[in-house]
Amino acid sequence: MEPSDLELVQRCQSGDMTAFEELVSRYHQKVYLVIVGLLRNRDDALEVAQETFLRAYRKIGSFQGGSSFYTWLYRIAVNIAIDSRRRQKRSPLDFRESMDGVLEEQDEVAKDPFADVHDKELREKLIAAINDLTPEHKAVIVLRTIEGLSYKDIGEILGCSEGTVMSRLHYARKKLQDKLRAFL
Amino acid sequence: MKHCDDIREFLGAWLDGELDPSEAEAVRLHVADCPACAEERRQLEKLQVAMKSVFSTEGERIAFEPFWHGVRSRIERNRPWHAELIEWLRSALEAPRLVWAVPAMIVVLIVALSLNSIWPSLKWWGQRNNYVAVESIDAHGRNVALLREDDTKTTVIWLYQNPEGENDTSEEPAQSGPTF
Repeated sequence: MEPSDLELVQRCQSGDMTAFEELVSRYHQKVYLVIVGLLRNRDDALEVAQETFLRAYRKIGSFQGGSSFYTWLYRIAVNIAIDSRRRQKRSPLDFRESMDGVLEEQDEVAKDPFADVHDKELREKLIAAINDLTPEHKAVIVLRTIEGLSYKDIGEILGCSEGTVMSRLHYARKKLQDKLRAFL
Repeated sequence: MKHCDDIREFLGAWLDGELDPSEAEAVRLHVADCPACAEERRQLEKLQVAMKSVFSTEGERIAFEPFWHGVRSRIERNRPWHAELIEWLRSALEAPRLVWAVPAMIVVLIVALSLNSIWPSLKWWGQRNNYVAVESIDAHGRNVALLREDDTKTTVIWLYQNPEGENDTSEEPAQSGPTF
């Protein structure tokens, strides 16, 4: 039977590196996807994802199990990503270019990677609109859309109430909808 | 929740399945009867699908082994003590309740230094005291020199003045300075 996250954490706290390796194996992809969603740049996302697990390793001794391991881990990831984003302050053009690179590669491996988003213009406008969101609004959109996390979990990760999560999601979607109304 | 604006505020949460059953039912009934809100719902659903497509472009792309190797090498890399200190300070000061502390401390420090440079004689609470030491008494017991502990100046008190002034015939002339 597969050990639970908490069991692995407890083994980590006893100095078991293989337990930490198992945790990284479970969550590296999800953490990476969330960070890519926030940063829109794969190289930066990889860097931040590895830094996230480094910080988690260093702080795992203080993990009490009051929240689930993945919300604790995502909280670290989101904080580093938002901090990194603020420090870099890349221009929207940089984001679009880096994301275009991602999209082109995706085109190479799949015939119609945007089967649900037929309009290329909608895709481009959506990426630009997402980039224009504030870090807080982008974070709720990413955590909800990519991970499908509950408002409660998102609130735990971002350190705010469920009501705040609902409000931020509403306004973030409204902003996106207003900018893309002609394409929806 | 009867007005369209109220309903639309909860549309996203309703689609996310995050409303109470009674609230969800109210939204569902309204949307079923309101073409404008039904259109809002359609747009929101399309937006959601579009976002999922955009966010999923990275897919299953990073291999575990090189990723773990990178994490492990970071863990094993010895970090200098000042990097640890900076990280600790950053995490300590990032707490929302401490956000105000740094600028507040800087302002207090600047004000304190400014006051001290403008009025060097200004003393802080508790610094000034009233301790005085008798430094010396002249040979005739006329003059007493007092030295304040927190001051470099010596205060001379003339205890006795010769009523005959200049005609004083004593061995110690009145106009001569005290001898210590």
